[in-house]
Amino acid sequence: MGLRDFFARRLTRRVKVYKIDDFSIEPPETLRAVSKPQTIHIKPEVPCSSSRVRDFDEVREKMKAHAEKLKLSGFKAKAQNVKIKRYVKEDIKTHHHSFTKKPKTFTMLKQIQALPQERGNKLKLMKKRPETGRGEVMLACYGPIVEGSVLKLVLNKQRGTLLVWYKAGSRQLKAKNVYLIRRLGLGEKPEWRWV
Amino acid sequence: MASNNAIGYMLIEGTETQIRGAALITDMKGFPVDFVRTEPLRPDQLAKILYGESFGKFAKEKLVLESLLEAVETDPQLWICSDPDILLPLRNNSRIKTVLLEESPHVPLDAAGHIEATADPGVFLVQAEPNGNPLRAEFPAGIRPEEIQQTAAAITEAAETMNILEPFSRLEKALSFLATGRA
Repeated sequence: MGLRDFFARRLTRRVKVYKIDDFSIEPPETLRAVSKPQTIHIKPEVPCSSSRVRDFDEVREKMKAHAEKLKLSGFKAKAQNVKIKRYVKEDIKTHHHSFTKKPKTFTMLKQIQALPQERGNKLKLMKKRPETGRGEVMLACYGPIVEGSVLKLVLNKQRGTLLVWYKAGSRQLKAKNVYLIRRLGLGEKPEWRWV
Repeated sequence: MASNNAIGYMLIEGTETQIRGAALITDMKGFPVDFVRTEPLRPDQLAKILYGESFGKFAKEKLVLESLLEAVETDPQLWICSDPDILLPLRNNSRIKTVLLEESPHVPLDAAGHIEATADPGVFLVQAEPNGNPLRAEFPAGIRPEEIQQTAAAITEAAETMNILEPFSRLEKALSFLATGRA
């Protein structure tokens, strides 16, 4: 303030007013108050594949190395608090289960052709029995059997059945019954009779 | 190859651990003209969990039966089976006359070739041989009466030259031998 201004204020109660043309104030700086948290993975890269449990020593070493990396400015990861329950070795594999796969088939014609057919004794079931000669006893009746195609007949004495093997390729179709007949008398042997 | 004088036998055996089947085609004497069997199908634990009790039926119908029908080279005039589970699928897949045949304790009918209906729908008694008890014949649902007559006639005709149920015992023996190594 100059001398003039001093006396002007004291005597005339007037104050000189200055006009300021280039009055400019920088706008206040605005800052966003929202902070963005930084995310840090504290889990080491441990592949997981199967339920097999592996030695944990290797995992611990990896954890230590990873914890060193996490010592960032103002942040220290507590990686030692991370618990690993299971470490597994390989990558996860997926298995496709197909329940609609048809089973393989095999042809075994020769083997089954070698099996004999079995005929049971049907004497008890017969309504009419063929006549037998005097002194003859009918022991069993087996049939129907195509006589012209028979390769071999074997009596299974334990089961009382007759095993029949047929010739392959035979076209005979005339079937008969075969009876086991015994003649009474000393030295007489059972006899097969086709009827 | 179609054959008008062959009889087909289909046997599929299933246990908890494995399912296997065999198809035998015989001529009218019972002599084998074609025989196919499957490798055993062993359902794992996962299949049992996912399918439950229906796995056995599914495997019989869809896997074993279809495999056997695809592999058989001779088409018979008639398929005979002993398992109700495969009666209808066998008829539908083969499009050949099919019957479930087994022995019955019923008294003999009048004569060979006679048929008698029972109280069960689709089940008939067929007097195949002049002697002995009639056979119990079960037909798939929805079969026409003519087809039942034709099937009964085919059974009776075959029974003149062979024991109509005997091939099942050979099939069982063959499967038992393959399963256990013992006849």
